[in-house]
Amino acid sequence: MSGSSGEKTGAAVPWPAHEVSGRSNLWNYVFLLALAVFFLWSYWGSQVQLSLLFSREGGGQILAYIQKLFPPDLSGPVLREALQGAIETFAISLMGTLLSAAIALSVVFFASRNLIYSGLLYEMEPTLGWKRGLRLVPYLAAKGLLNLLRTVPEMLWALIFVFVVGLGPFAGVLALGVHTGGVLGKLFGEVLEDVDPQPVESLQSTGASKLQILLYGILPQVLPQFISYTLYRWEVNIRVAAILGFVGAGGLGQRIHIAISLFFENQLFTLIIAIYVLVTLVDYLSAYLRRKVT
Amino acid sequence: MRSPTLSRIPKSEKSLFSYLFALLFAVAFVDGWRRAEVNPLVFFDAENRGNLWKFISGMFPPDLSSDFLSLMIRPALETIQISVMGTIIAIAIGFPLGILGTRTFSIGGILNEADIQGSPLRRTWRFSAYFAARGLLSLFRSIPEFVWAFMFVRAVGLGPFSGVLAIAVAYGGMLGKVYSEIFEAANERPLEALQSTGASKLQVFIYGWFPQVLPNFVSYTLYRWECAVRASAVLGLVGAGGLGQQIEISMRMFNFHEVLTLLGILFVMVAAVDYISAKVRAML
Amino acid sequence: MRERVAMAYQYRLEKVGKVFGRRQIALARIDFVVQRGEKVALIGPSGAGKTSLFRILNCTLRPSSGKLWINGDEIESLHGRRLREVRRKIGTIYQQHNLVPRLKVIHNVLSGRLGRWSAFRSLASLMRPLEVELAWSALKQVGIEEKIFTRTDELSGGQQQRVAIARVLVQDPEVILADEPVSSVDPSLAASIVNLLIDIGRDTHKTLLMNLHSVDLALAYFPRVIGIKNGVALFDLSPDKIDDRLLEDLYSGHLPPSDQEKVAHAESNALAYP
Repeated sequence: MSGSSGEKTGAAVPWPAHEVSGRSNLWNYVFLLALAVFFLWSYWGSQVQLSLLFSREGGGQILAYIQKLFPPDLSGPVLREALQGAIETFAISLMGTLLSAAIALSVVFFASRNLIYSGLLYEMEPTLGWKRGLRLVPYLAAKGLLNLLRTVPEMLWALIFVFVVGLGPFAGVLALGVHTGGVLGKLFGEVLEDVDPQPVESLQSTGASKLQILLYGILPQVLPQFISYTLYRWEVNIRVAAILGFVGAGGLGQRIHIAISLFFENQLFTLIIAIYVLVTLVDYLSAYLRRKVT
Repeated sequence: MRSPTLSRIPKSEKSLFSYLFALLFAVAFVDGWRRAEVNPLVFFDAENRGNLWKFISGMFPPDLSSDFLSLMIRPALETIQISVMGTIIAIAIGFPLGILGTRTFSIGGILNEADIQGSPLRRTWRFSAYFAARGLLSLFRSIPEFVWAFMFVRAVGLGPFSGVLAIAVAYGGMLGKVYSEIFEAANERPLEALQSTGASKLQVFIYGWFPQVLPNFVSYTLYRWECAVRASAVLGLVGAGGLGQQIEISMRMFNFHEVLTLLGILFVMVAAVDYISAKVRAML
Repeated sequence: MRERVAMAYQYRLEKVGKVFGRRQIALARIDFVVQRGEKVALIGPSGAGKTSLFRILNCTLRPSSGKLWINGDEIESLHGRRLREVRRKIGTIYQQHNLVPRLKVIHNVLSGRLGRWSAFRSLASLMRPLEVELAWSALKQVGIEEKIFTRTDELSGGQQQRVAIARVLVQDPEVILADEPVSSVDPSLAASIVNLLIDIGRDTHKTLLMNLHSVDLALAYFPRVIGIKNGVALFDLSPDKIDDRLLEDLYSGHLPPSDQEKVAHAESNALAYP
């Protein structure tokens, strides 16, 4: 067992102060204790009953529910409904994602610091005074708008738009577009702020205007990443579009809502399979396109 | 007459693929426009504009009465609690499945060379574990948490526990998939060295794999927790507890000033969680 | 009867070959026998298959053809726990150290004990290191005991190589395989590390096999030198029988050994994991 050296030193190891064994590091313990309390509090508050899942009764209930799902209802009308719902969901996700890209693109240039406010493009401009303050206004407004759009989840936007424009898939498109617009705006902004300044600098030195610099120096750099992020959000959106119908915004969700409410479990299973297939297809399509772009 | 030099400029080549793709996209766009009933004109319609105005003006002033606020404390905290428990169980689901679903852990790479070769039984066993884990993860994450929540409400009843389970399963699938990507990105050289000391796979994992990827692991898990807070706020719509239930009630009762308050609470909660997880990330 | 004969040897290789994929031949046909306690250096141009050979010798790869006995065990039939037991008795020092960068030195050293520890004990040791004295004395032997609680990625290349050696000391194997242990440390240190490994091998009667770029070091320190080229052993002699003509044969068509270092370095980074 002894080390290959055969030399057995005693307890000659000089433990540094922070490694001293036996003495408790108070701060660590406080932190761990706080974490444990936080978890316990969550456990208690969310009424988790894991024992229920594994008890005969609770487990039986779940098993019974799963049994009711089988077999999926594959009759003609149900399949047609599922297909129609899937296509509608696809359409909502596509239009919603396009709208979100449009929103993000129209806001993001005001929300990235290096394009609107400071940095290379503004080296020669006055650093003080009302002009600088004036540039700050659209910057802060755009940032605030993106934050607002992002913070409210899609489902709540859907509730709001159902109220404003009425039931139907268009409310879903608007909900997706607005929320994802906020998310993409933030992501696009990060890309823009990382842009390689050298092409920008050389364009500026040829006397190009800011718009020209944007078109020739910046957009070509960031476009692949913009597209890639948009495709990634599309993958997220297809999942959301599948459930927006719960609040009346069309697509598969509406049909699922009906099937669940009326206890048509076999139809529900068919619709869930439709979601699975649709989501997987979009994942593959998006991954394929992203590879093409980058 | 064309100048000879001009004709020598090569034409930029567009592949068949890009034309085909553009065509497909155009068809999808036109069809999608119709199916999704996109109609920008609705905002110029007097009734819809009236609705929008009713909603916006109805939000102000937000309901800040202490009665309402004190009623909302409980659901707000419940939302946080659901997200925490949901994320913890999601880790418990995603972590083992993610490990098994890591190609370099289960079936490929230098670590499995000697182990799998010449043993068909082991090979079958490993491959089936790998594909089973991947399949489960894909099933879990492809069904939206909302649908999971609905089914759990049916199976275990109304209340926050259904929300916890919904987040646990759906996020377990997402975490597991990303965990396996994170594990796959680990440098295999130290792992090879650990294995050559006679360590088992599990020991190699504990000593080499996990320490290497710990920052990414924690960072992504925290990101998912942030998402879970938003998700659990919404799950209330199907009766799975939390803030969502209150928002739906206020919305259906047209109490928009309450909606604004609730959105404000949600905003503060999300900001707080973002702040906490940014702090934890910085600690790494 | 044959098994019993093989028992006397540490390694016995019979027509060992290794092919990656379909046709990328790393080793064509290697035969040799290494006695217990023997010290052997392997030299040869980069890409000759030395690293693949070492990966076969420490049971990371399996030969595609031929037979390999370690300590009398035919390893073709070994899997799982029994394979791990064989691996435990073979310590490997890698060219790139192959340490876990984010762990403290002590954990990297103690990872040599993993073959003896249970999974639970391994986990416990990450929380609070076990067998600290063992790690300390191993680090002392390689001369960097003061770094015991430093994070490994804060050490220099030479120090990391010493940590890797300490890991093998703690593993206390029967065989030490050192794959280019000195090609990423500066030349003045190279001789001392080779010396250290030879001393360790002699003191504890371990078998030592070392891949070396430097022909001079191989000839100066080892009683037996095997030259490998294109996946076959070109010669297997004591250093006094190796003349310039043999070396020229070994490296013909390749860069001279002194220039190979850079190539080998780049190559080992690009080395495809099968």
